[in-house]
Amino acid sequence: VTAGDPARAELGAAVIAWTREADWRRDDARFAELALALFAFQFDHCAPYRRFCEARGRTPANVRRWQEIPAVPTSAFKELALTSFPSERTAHVFRTSGTSALQRGALRLDTLEVYEASLRASFHRHLLPDLAPGSRIVFRVLAPSTRETPDSSLSHMFDTMLREVGAAHSTHWIWGGALDVPRVLRELGADAQADVPVAVCGTAFAFVHLLEELEQRGLRFALPATARVMETGGFKGRSRSVAREELYAWIDDRLGVPAARIVNQYGMTELGSQFYDSVLREPSAARRKLAPPWTRVRILEPAGSEEVAPGEIGRIALLDLANTGSVCALETADLGRRIGDGFEVLGRDADAEQRGCSIAVDALLEDARA
Amino acid sequence: VTPDALRARLAALRAAGHELRRRPAREVIEALAAVLERWRDPRSPERIELERELPTAAGFSAPVVREGLARALAPWTGDALRALAARELAREGGIARGHDVTAVLLAGAIPMPTLLSIVAPLALRSPALVKSAERDPITAPLVARSIASVDGALARCIDVVGFRGRDDALVRAFLSADCVVATGSDATIEAVAARMAPHQALVRHGHALSLAVLGPSAGSGAALDEAARGIALDTALWDQQGCLSPISVYAMGDTEAAGRVGNALAHALAEIEGRLPRGGVGPGAAALAAQERAGAELRAAAGQAVSVRTAPDGRWTVVVEPDAAPRPAPLYRFLRVHAVPDREALVRAIAPLSRHLAAVALDGFGAEMGAVAAELQSLGSTRICAPGSLQCPPLDWARDGLRPLASLAKGIQD
Repeated sequence: VTAGDPARAELGAAVIAWTREADWRRDDARFAELALALFAFQFDHCAPYRRFCEARGRTPANVRRWQEIPAVPTSAFKELALTSFPSERTAHVFRTSGTSALQRGALRLDTLEVYEASLRASFHRHLLPDLAPGSRIVFRVLAPSTRETPDSSLSHMFDTMLREVGAAHSTHWIWGGALDVPRVLRELGADAQADVPVAVCGTAFAFVHLLEELEQRGLRFALPATARVMETGGFKGRSRSVAREELYAWIDDRLGVPAARIVNQYGMTELGSQFYDSVLREPSAARRKLAPPWTRVRILEPAGSEEVAPGEIGRIALLDLANTGSVCALETADLGRRIGDGFEVLGRDADAEQRGCSIAVDALLEDARA
Repeated sequence: VTPDALRARLAALRAAGHELRRRPAREVIEALAAVLERWRDPRSPERIELERELPTAAGFSAPVVREGLARALAPWTGDALRALAARELAREGGIARGHDVTAVLLAGAIPMPTLLSIVAPLALRSPALVKSAERDPITAPLVARSIASVDGALARCIDVVGFRGRDDALVRAFLSADCVVATGSDATIEAVAARMAPHQALVRHGHALSLAVLGPSAGSGAALDEAARGIALDTALWDQQGCLSPISVYAMGDTEAAGRVGNALAHALAEIEGRLPRGGVGPGAAALAAQERAGAELRAAAGQAVSVRTAPDGRWTVVVEPDAAPRPAPLYRFLRVHAVPDREALVRAIAPLSRHLAAVALDGFGAEMGAVAAELQSLGSTRICAPGSLQCPPLDWARDGLRPLASLAKGIQD
């Protein structure tokens, strides 16, 4: 690992080694040891985080369990450069989506090695569990390529996987900010005829756009039974919102990919790891998101810091050992609940519509910053 | 409820409207004035039932509902309605009338907009089909019942329905009325507009916000304490859920001045929690508030001049910000204080919010009060008042710049 600090390089190497293990065995002792070591490193090397922890009375000297590591809110990445390396070593910046007028969150990295090791392992395990070693799959990407959006972590993920396991004729269907409809129709027709595995991946909103185009043209495709869909992201700030069940039924209707082969990914720019639905990996089990063993997901009381009981709704807090260069413990404003050995994401501010006439928070900021 | 049933109910209301418009306008206004007086009376059966049922339905504490109703309904007298009707409906050669039938789409859980949204079309002799808000299924039926108690014939011109807003066929049937009064988020109102034909009228009441501005003479001492008590009351009533709830306080001066205001507000919010306790908070709002508090603490750790004052259980929060930049408003008694050095900076700070600005609580500008108020009005504020008065607007307040009765008029009738 090329990270400058030897201690950090050692931690990164340990995480990378873990991502390469095939069995994904949960190992609490190993996780705790790495988490506490990473906390100590980040406490020492990220001054704002150190002061934040000190204000809470938590230091490496008194934090004994990984659950006690202070978590920073993901919203903080919009305003602060939370790095555990000197800023001049920044080699890559991923930014959250949004219009240029909006303040966008940023994850600064000095190396992509841990980041890519983590994304590669999770993507393989949950989206390509049936892909034989050495074989390739056709990717149809409903997102721009990194040539167009070099600061998009999603584009980076897709391009990384496309480069490593994508068939030669894999393509991006979004160019210049628009769906390349002639190409989409041509390639969907070809993919439906060919008996080769295909993965259609993109943002949920891009899928809505694609499905609307197909609906307007009265077109339906039946992709091969081996096809799979990966969708991610919500509809914040978009002109249209579609419930997930409705989206999956729509994809089934227009692309011929049943819900059992549609995988939702929960990820965020601020995180080095992602979380995928279990449906392809464990088709007979309940749909839930599974955490890689180098991460932990906790569902906390909405206004407190204790974990809620399984099945109860709370806010999602994460500890991601792949976040070696920033802060590994994060808390989100997303709601979720635990399901067995996994979890379900319910989205942000699910009760916003229940409010009175006071303005929705996001709408206010969209207006104020536009 | 089915789409056909909704259309049938609209047809019945339309027929009732023919009868209604045969009645003298004055007679209808008198009946509605009596309805308002009934609501002002804390011993009226409808008021007692609302105070009993709304806390459970909408999640407010009982003292908040009681105090909120008492304060808001006090100025809504029968005479206020008579004066409003005389001012807004009198026309040369007759009196303004409304559309053949009006559909009223309600949102939120604050009773006063519901009461006025039902009374207003009736005052123009337009029957109303009313869809209750999901969070408040109580108020609209009680308003209908109070009308029936006063005037049985008028009660036939009001019909309250409840159905899930996601059922598009029902929504389209509901929106087939001649006029639609829609309350909700910008996205909701755009969705309503997209389902209406050009010949239909749409009266939009989108989401909005209110603010407080404290000038130099309200920046310290007893004047600050009094202003803070008023702002705390405006914040506590309806748990910051209404468009008249302040979300930010702009303090003239430096960060030290903003800190003083923050301290006073924290003290006032802590005090009012004992008298008007906050109600329930959904997990999403609670999570957002927790995220914003932690974010502010992290910004402070990073060296920004931001400070957080909060109740130990998080039931209220005051964040004193280092600048005037707008930030998320988690609501449920979460206030931000921004220092603004002068009036120009104040205008610059508020300008980005102007499209959604409803009202401003203003204090501490002495002889400059009129000039500052004018500036705020030019920024879109339709109401300027003293701290502590935000939640009791007069009946004729032009919410969203729309006159409450005249905005529903269609033509003139003898």
